[in-house]
Amino acid sequence: MERAKINAGQLFVLIFLFEMGSALLLSLGIEAKQDAWLAVLTGMCGSLFLFWMYYRLYLFYPDMLPTSYMQHIFGPFFGKIAAYLYILLFMYNGARVLRDFGEMLVTSTYTETPLFIINALLLLIVLYVIHKGIEVIARTGEILFVVLYVLAVTGSILIVVSGLINIDHLKPVLEGGIGRILKTAGTETLYVPFGEAVVFFMILPYVNRPDKIKPAMFSALVLSGINLTITMAVNIAVLGVDLTERSQFPLLNTIQAIQVAEFLERLDVFFMIAIIVGGFVKISIYFYAVVIGVSDLFRVKEISSLIFPLGLVLLFLSMVIASGYAEHIKEGLRFVPLYMHLPLHVILPALLLTVAALKKRHSMNKRKQS
Amino acid sequence: MPYRLRRLFRSKKQQTHSIADQKNRTPLETSLKENLKEFKKRTGNSSDVVIRTLTTGGMQWEAAVVYIDGIVDNLSIDEFLLEPLLQLQVPASPVQQQDVPEFIAEQVIALGGIDPVSDWETLFEAVTIGRAVLFIDGAAKALSASTIGGERRAVEEPPTEISIRGPREGFTESIRTNTAMVRRRIKNPNLRVKTMKIGRQTKTNVEIMYLEGIADNKVVEEVRRRLKQIDMGSILDSGYIEELIEDQPSSPFPTIHFTERPDSAAGNILEGRVAVFVDGSPFILHMPAVFIQFFQSVDDYYSRSFIASSLRMLRIMVFLISLYAPATYVAATTFHQEMIPTQLLIVLSAQREAVPFPAVIEAFIMETTFEILREAGIRMPKAVGQTVSIVGALVIGQSAVQAGIVSPAMVIIVAITAIASFTTPSYSMAVAARMIRFILMVIAASFGFYGLILSFIVITAHLCGLRSFGVPYMAPLAPFIRADFEDSVIRLPWWEAKERPRLISGQNSVRQGENLKPEAPGTQSIRKQRKNTGELDED
Repeated sequence: MERAKINAGQLFVLIFLFEMGSALLLSLGIEAKQDAWLAVLTGMCGSLFLFWMYYRLYLFYPDMLPTSYMQHIFGPFFGKIAAYLYILLFMYNGARVLRDFGEMLVTSTYTETPLFIINALLLLIVLYVIHKGIEVIARTGEILFVVLYVLAVTGSILIVVSGLINIDHLKPVLEGGIGRILKTAGTETLYVPFGEAVVFFMILPYVNRPDKIKPAMFSALVLSGINLTITMAVNIAVLGVDLTERSQFPLLNTIQAIQVAEFLERLDVFFMIAIIVGGFVKISIYFYAVVIGVSDLFRVKEISSLIFPLGLVLLFLSMVIASGYAEHIKEGLRFVPLYMHLPLHVILPALLLTVAALKKRHSMNKRKQS
Repeated sequence: MPYRLRRLFRSKKQQTHSIADQKNRTPLETSLKENLKEFKKRTGNSSDVVIRTLTTGGMQWEAAVVYIDGIVDNLSIDEFLLEPLLQLQVPASPVQQQDVPEFIAEQVIALGGIDPVSDWETLFEAVTIGRAVLFIDGAAKALSASTIGGERRAVEEPPTEISIRGPREGFTESIRTNTAMVRRRIKNPNLRVKTMKIGRQTKTNVEIMYLEGIADNKVVEEVRRRLKQIDMGSILDSGYIEELIEDQPSSPFPTIHFTERPDSAAGNILEGRVAVFVDGSPFILHMPAVFIQFFQSVDDYYSRSFIASSLRMLRIMVFLISLYAPATYVAATTFHQEMIPTQLLIVLSAQREAVPFPAVIEAFIMETTFEILREAGIRMPKAVGQTVSIVGALVIGQSAVQAGIVSPAMVIIVAITAIASFTTPSYSMAVAARMIRFILMVIAASFGFYGLILSFIVITAHLCGLRSFGVPYMAPLAPFIRADFEDSVIRLPWWEAKERPRLISGQNSVRQGENLKPEAPGTQSIRKQRKNTGELDED
């Protein structure tokens, strides 16, 4: 483990930015039509339970990385396999986010630039920051958090001022019944973006005050959930369900609709800042988890020697995971939640927690007997 | 293997050198003639060396006073050294020949600092800083008297740090005057000054000053350790020291703050920082420095807090403008024309119609021209200053547009950038922005806004990764420290700012009493306070 410490406030900021990352970009839970915002909210509530699970796991082994304690819980062989699965998951997710952003830039502004160049540039920045360590990532996050919030508040004011919001687009509420919302939440929003924060169990051992982790984690989750809910509601209110559903990047379209005083228009380029900032933090966190996971699992002492080769893997993975944007999105909606997120975000942590609890009880019983 | 051998050899050589330094001190002779001969030989008969021979003690002791003219105070040599010696009569009780120096030091010379000298090395250390040395025949010992003086610049208004309100005096080249100016502001015996000599040829006096009990001991030790490591031929200015002890020499951003205002120095010492004075330099360094400090001016502390806070925010915004304005223009006109409002876009493209270059070349031409003008403005004699401003403003500004080399919009952008870069109170931070601006223009021309956003993230990450003497550079913003935030981007009123910066002052963070907020008489809280202190009778 790297000898570094972050504080609870920084953990809060990182989780928040991570959640906002690519989720701002995509149309979350649009399966639930105009109730998408409710699906996001429900997903957030459900993910509180997931977070509680990750937190309990951390409490069992507060000074150890998950890649190590999995070997404690499952035994060296199965534990290593589980740890390896997680590293693969983080690598894949990181590559997915990178692809999301590359596609966003290529479709919206840089139509002539190859996707590879765009991805490589963003990854270069990520490598630089990872090289500096978790403390610097956390501090950078604090500054970027302020930038993001200033932009978000400005954006909301501009949207309201330009009179774009049409509440009728959000009606009728609960048209498809609670069932549709629960289904969307259970198959989509629970995992992306909220369940993705499972990666933070790799970061938790670095926090300096364990007693403050719980409030920081849950408040970050709730705040980001509320923010995403508002974003989604605004998107639908501005664009209407139909357009939001068909749009690749609804937030960008919403921002494009802003027109104030015939001067402030086409601000989407400006708001790319907010989106790239979120994406940058998200990829950094994933990649950092991969790097420390690999160094812990394969006992590589020099973290810096891993950064460059693993970065190349991430870059090429981001290029080859799908042959086009449509395929990329379809994979993300149909297959990834079912075959990757459900087992690794929910089932495996639950299993780990159960076994860890049983083991603890067992050892305590033994101690009592002896 | 050869490397290791070389290292071994070198370390041995260094050791012997240092031992030799202590042992190879040549002692003085007993005979005055021999001593003077040796002294003349060592100084090579330099014309500013004065040797005044005399007899004292009722014509019984031969003596000589030597000093270097110009760096001594002639008045004190004449009145307090030469005059008592010349008027000295035969002492009442007889004095042994070898005890004469002690006798003279104790009973004759009317000067404050007198030190016995018994070897040539110490003697020359004394003479070269402006002390007078008294040789006495028959004793292998001399006396050095503190007669340091000579012409010096008077205390003037600091030319590089202007303030509207606040003291008008600035540091000078004399280290003693400088430390005195700070001492006069902090009347506390805990204010410590430690001296060391750095530079083989220059033997420059370097002093560190800090408040014992408020400054962090670890930082004080670290500053001392880094200063001790310096082994240079010459130290002519505090800039040498800054470059030799800073944390991140490869970063464009300064990690040590300097000032030429005593009030600013005193304020920083009171916050728990360590100040480094260098003899011969009117700029003193203080450390640890944080990023936000470079945007604070002393005026902020003397004006009302609302105004000070808004000015600080303005400076930071303007700093960003000075970094990004030309790059944004290049990116917008090259890649993102759609974000420019249509009317403006028509005007801009009409202007650019005649210009034969792409926007980035245009920007480079104008920015480089401006940098040349600025550099010329600093270096040139004051008498020809007018010429450059006329050439700069009229010829280059207007003619370049008329000749169709650049567009008028570009001239405006460059002018804004130029003025913006002068609002940063710290010169070293403004210079950093100047350099980075050119890199950003290239990035903007190649990757547009995407490149600029990425560059912003990199710069932020770089700043967050810097440390100055163990303190994170971006504190108190990142890591966010609530107690320190009250004097950073904003400045809370004094009655609200109860604590010293936590990361900088190690101990003793409370700096003032409670209930300092001014209130109209008769308000509840003041009555309560008075009641508590017994000033107000129960009624």
